Amino acid sequence: MKGRIRRSLVRIYAMAAKEGRHIVRDPRTLYMSLGMPVLLLFLFGYGVAFDIDRIPLAVVDQDRTESSRALVHALTASRELVSVGELPDPAAVLGAFRQERAVAALVVDEGYERALLAREVVPVQLLVDGADALVANQLLAKADALVRAESQRLASAEVGETTPPVRVKVWTRYNPDGRSAFYMVPGLAAYLLAITAVLLTALTIAGEWERGSMEQLFASPIGRLEIVLGKLLPYLGLGLLEFLLVVAFGMIAFDLPMRGSGFALALLGLVFLLGMLGQGLLVSVIAKNQTVATQAGTMSSLLPSLLLSGMIFPIENMPVVLQHFSRVIPARYLVHGLRGVLLKGNGLDVLWPDLLALAVFALVVIGLATARFQRRLA
Amino acid sequence: MSAPAPGAPVIEARQLTRRFGSFTAVDAVSFEVERGEIFGYLGANGAGKSTTIRMLNGLLAPTSGTARVAGHDVAADPDSVKASIGYMSQKFSLYLDLPVMENLLFFGGAYGLFGKALRVRAGELLELTGLAGQDAAITGSLPGGMRQRLALAGAILHRPEVVFLDEPTAGVDPVARRAFWRLIRQLSSGGTTVFVTTHYLDEAEYCRRIGLMVDGRLVALDSPAGLKRTWVPDRVLVARGQGLAGAAAALAGRDGVRSVQPFGAGLHLRVDPARLDEAGVGRILSAAGAREVVVDRAEPSLEDVFLAVVGREARGEAVT
Ligand SMILES: Nc1ncnc2c1ncn2[C@@H]1O[C@H](COP(=O)(O)OP(=O)(O)OP(=O)(O)O)[C@@H](O)[C@H]1O
Ligand SMILES: [Mg+2]
Repeated sequence: MKGRIRRSLVRIYAMAAKEGRHIVRDPRTLYMSLGMPVLLLFLFGYGVAFDIDRIPLAVVDQDRTESSRALVHALTASRELVSVGELPDPAAVLGAFRQERAVAALVVDEGYERALLAREVVPVQLLVDGADALVANQLLAKADALVRAESQRLASAEVGETTPPVRVKVWTRYNPDGRSAFYMVPGLAAYLLAITAVLLTALTIAGEWERGSMEQLFASPIGRLEIVLGKLLPYLGLGLLEFLLVVAFGMIAFDLPMRGSGFALALLGLVFLLGMLGQGLLVSVIAKNQTVATQAGTMSSLLPSLLLSGMIFPIENMPVVLQHFSRVIPARYLVHGLRGVLLKGNGLDVLWPDLLALAVFALVVIGLATARFQRRLA
Repeated sequence: MSAPAPGAPVIEARQLTRRFGSFTAVDAVSFEVERGEIFGYLGANGAGKSTTIRMLNGLLAPTSGTARVAGHDVAADPDSVKASIGYMSQKFSLYLDLPVMENLLFFGGAYGLFGKALRVRAGELLELTGLAGQDAAITGSLPGGMRQRLALAGAILHRPEVVFLDEPTAGVDPVARRAFWRLIRQLSSGGTTVFVTTHYLDEAEYCRRIGLMVDGRLVALDSPAGLKRTWVPDRVLVARGQGLAGAAAALAGRDGVRSVQPFGAGLHLRVDPARLDEAGVGRILSAAGAREVVVDRAEPSLEDVFLAVVGREARGEAVT
């Protein structure tokens, strides 16, 4: 019995070591698992981060008082709006939009400070270039919040400390700057991890079939669970490295906070990876050739992880059918868990349902892959 | 372990049959292979050679019939069979992106070898197969002959009782083929049983016994000399000289002449020795205008045997 287990471990080790050597020698695998996700995170991350960052704002200040300058300062204090200079009058705004020197313009009419002191309601105009609707919408929300905050500041200064400031925005809770990057990057990380992990293993078993080496393996005493585990281990290591790299990159490039424990983070990544690598193996066992495996692997991970994980579209807003369907998409649990660990500092006590769901998924797909894996030919 | 009794056959196939749907790839094949024997399995493309090997390896379940390999039943106990054999599959399969040594270490590990013992054994085999010093070479950069020898090394790391080699020398140059067969003979003299399929009839001469497959059936089984005696009773003659091409027509249709074929600059003919001999052939050719005619007896080749067997099968005659 002990001898049998030891022989089995020797075979798993041989398989894992061989697979590890393939990885080390294959620049494509290394790029796909380590280079591409970081690159994509960078591109996507800045893509989503850009629309709320450094929006060029033209200022038409016809009041030219301390109060009007305070308002401009309030709007441009965070980097989200940056002043690109003053315009002489509102008529110049359209020109600035056309030349794309500014996307928004703040127009403060003469008499702003006077009206404030007289405790009148003061209208200020914010003109927005609506050509990019996404930017325009975000901008309006942003400016609205900023102006409200400024008017509250003015109101409380006026009345003293008695009126408690009213919290308007829900999203400011864990993301005080309203930075969508904080919300998006964990989602992106989960998504990238999902597609690369599935593809990594989807290619390996199909590769053995194509090469003809599978027949050679089947003729040896190596068992199918041993093949599956041996193939899983090195990719698990690679995947964990990818996971840590992506999270670390998110922290460096997007100031992503890390409020939870490293252990919770690693555990989450590990269980998720097991499931996605297992899904790749399952695809590979069924497809038997690399082209089909690549397509099936991509289809089965890319779209669900993109659309149903809650990364872009909140799950609560989905049609009920899709909400139910999203329960079998592992990325959903990783996105949720990751946001929890990174942004809220959740520990295992809160995280366990996500972990449990991921573990069940992993067990099911690895079990299915092993069961579907015929160790005889034809 | 149910080790076979000494002297018992190492491979024993009884009415072994495999069907794919309604197509019978291997049809009631029976034979025995003794310990240390080199057993050649010959047949045209699609004859059923690989299918037979896969059943003996435990890779394909037989549709009917039984087989025992190294004392284990292939259908009931394929795992024990797998542990006692080595196999070089036809669409064979080293990992070309890995160095030579890594390939050996992997296949050794797959058979449960590890650590120092594995490294020592792998080194021994590199020596044996003439690959010493190539440990770090990337397998894909080796010439075909070296790859085949490396593949053989990978198949015998664990000292199996039987090795199955499915067309191991396909596509390899003649010099490399000869080197490979030297290794096979070495293995066999060390007591390993070798079951080998091939398309090359010249190398089949090295086998102690040969089975001939035609359309899934084993139609002949004997030593090379025995096959020639049974299947080519005619005398094979080679005629050389000047002007043979014009004179050849005179032989066709003569009493006792079975076949005439140009062979290089000369003629290759088969005659019934009871009715015509070398001198008779020489007289006929000279009379027809050929000069300096020399006629010699030649050994029939396995190619003659193969043509005779396939010809008789095609005519649907019973094998006697
Ligand atoms: N898995 C399979 N499914 C269906 N038919 C098969 C299968 N494997 C083999 N065959 C058929 O069985 C026949 C025998 O095939 P086999 O591979 O045993 O021939 P072979 O003698 O090894 O030929 P070759 O010299 O081409 O390797 C062929 O007609 C082949 O098409
Ligand atoms: Mg074959």
